[in-house]
Amino acid sequence: MSTSRIRDSLRTDLQQRDFDKRSLLFVPIALLVFGGFVFPFLILIRISLAGQPSGAPYEEGSLTLESFVHVVTSDLIQYIIGFSILYAVTTTLLALVVATFYAYAAWRTSGVTKYVLLFSSILPLLTTLAVKTYAWAPLLAPNGNVNDLLLLFSVIGEPVQFAPGLVGAVVGQVYNMVPFGILAIYSVLISIEESKIEAARDLGASRIRSFYEVVLPEIIPGIAVASIIFVTWSVGAYAAPQLLGGGAERSYAVQIESYMLAELQWAFAGALSVLMLLTGAIGVLIALWVLNQSEGGVRIAGQ
Amino acid sequence: MSSLTLSGLQKEYGDITAVDGISASINDGELLCILGPSGCGKSTTLRMIGGLVSPTEGNVQMDGNDITDEPPHQRETSIVFQDWALFPYKTVLENVTFGLKMKGVGKAERIDRAKELLETVYMDGYEESMPADLSGGEKQRIALARSLAADPNVLLLDEPLSNLDKRLREQMQIELKEIHDTFEKTFIYVTHDQNEAFTLADRIAIMNDGEIVQIGSPQEVYNNPNNRFVEEFLGDTNILHGTVNRATDASLLVSLGTGGTIEIDDDTETEVTEGDDVEVSLRPEILDVQTISDGQKQVQADGSSNCVSGTVNSVLHRGSSVRYNIEVGDGELFVERQIGNESDLHEGDPIELSWSGSDVLAFHEGERIGGKR
Repeated sequence: MSTSRIRDSLRTDLQQRDFDKRSLLFVPIALLVFGGFVFPFLILIRISLAGQPSGAPYEEGSLTLESFVHVVTSDLIQYIIGFSILYAVTTTLLALVVATFYAYAAWRTSGVTKYVLLFSSILPLLTTLAVKTYAWAPLLAPNGNVNDLLLLFSVIGEPVQFAPGLVGAVVGQVYNMVPFGILAIYSVLISIEESKIEAARDLGASRIRSFYEVVLPEIIPGIAVASIIFVTWSVGAYAAPQLLGGGAERSYAVQIESYMLAELQWAFAGALSVLMLLTGAIGVLIALWVLNQSEGGVRIAGQ
Repeated sequence: MSSLTLSGLQKEYGDITAVDGISASINDGELLCILGPSGCGKSTTLRMIGGLVSPTEGNVQMDGNDITDEPPHQRETSIVFQDWALFPYKTVLENVTFGLKMKGVGKAERIDRAKELLETVYMDGYEESMPADLSGGEKQRIALARSLAADPNVLLLDEPLSNLDKRLREQMQIELKEIHDTFEKTFIYVTHDQNEAFTLADRIAIMNDGEIVQIGSPQEVYNNPNNRFVEEFLGDTNILHGTVNRATDASLLVSLGTGGTIEIDDDTETEVTEGDDVEVSLRPEILDVQTISDGQKQVQADGSSNCVSGTVNSVLHRGSSVRYNIEVGDGELFVERQIGNESDLHEGDPIELSWSGSDVLAFHEGERIGGKR
């Protein structure tokens, strides 16, 4: 029996008799998505639509937009939304630049350098997030090593407090995100044929120009994946702003934690969480739209 | 249009010497083919001229100016790559205008120029196509137009036709030749295909093991090869082993291992003496075949028989030609005849092969020592 006949008869079998059985294959993933994300998310939305009494996490059985109104009109929350958006944009752009050039450098070099670059990008993933984030605190402190170096080379006149502060929060977040971006972009880079870069150089493009004209359009899918990781992560950032930021570096997640655990205002926490998810979703859409405008973008639009 | 001079070009990769001291002059407007087997260093040589590879030693001069250290984007050369290397996310028009864009030529002008070139390569109407939608032959034409659009002094072609099927390849060879005549640019064309080199070249440089073995017009290298490598590389031939019987200023008499003797005209300075081992090359097209009807053998009066007798071993039909493998002594020779001109030979026929002494070349330790065509 030829393969195609086997395949055909198999298909008929599946269509006629085993259609329901085949659908069972979706059950585990459906359960996981529903139980792990959809169901808790529905509870979250429900809580965000409850009233916020004092002395209880939320008012059971009530249905009101009060929490959203409270959250949106609060000066503190407006500041937090503004900060989170700026923080996400800044860290995403910085991480994209670093990851792209790091991956490009790793791709272009050979021998030991290549392995050192690739290995050292993966190494941080082997350490717990909290530990490696907190490790920046002494480095960026006023009497830390970064200040020592900058003072030594007279870049700065007197010690600067990078952490706790905005610089620390940004550096920590970029550092945490970059390895994922490197992996996403490197995996696309290795499919580029080097002769295309040579052709661009040969036709009069400088090194930078040939990167911009030939390499960048080809790695757009990798940059898109990195952008999705960076935007969602940085909008919801908790560890870096909490451990390395000062009082002003207050992100969505930091405030939500405070609502949940310190102030026991779950309705407000729920409302702010919904806003955070919306911000992340809109951020991803904007990033993909921007990438779609570029030369290589046609592929992430799905032709 | 420009002339090029390569002096002592050498490229080492670690312990491996890819190109081992190449010197050559390429004339203004010439089409030079660099011909050689895979790994002989021909592509590396081309890339050194284009600036994509820096030589370990030696230099490249264009019109008398040393351009060895100029980066590729500043050189007046352009490469047509083996895999064409079209930019996949640019349209055909954007690909062809790329070189002019990098030179800062205005948009209207570069589009005019690109359209002109697309017509030259019969690809007008494809401006908005993407490279992925093109066939191999079409990609090849776009790559050629893209390189020509940059208006280089020297066009470097790195086996641009090797990924095409035979028919298309032959058609493109003719078109390339026409383009060379039209544009009057210096072309350096790398190939491993002798037929391609013979079709295209004004001169052929034959490379082996990182060196240029011989450089000259197609007739010159075919008829007057420097050594056994060139003789064997440029076409199928029969190599017979023999020993020098008598060496004079004008000729060599060689006894063949397969039996019989052979007299070779020799006006070169002969450095072999009696008893030296030599190899003799008999091109399949110069051999005359005759069926031996009555078992008699013709022997020429001067003692050099210039013929051997043997038996037809097999007859191979190869499309436009027929190849006869003939067993002589302990070896095998082959004779080739075009269809329409074939001999009526069958397996097992006793035959006699003869040739003219002036068609035979002799080699000693690989180097040419005598004979001419």
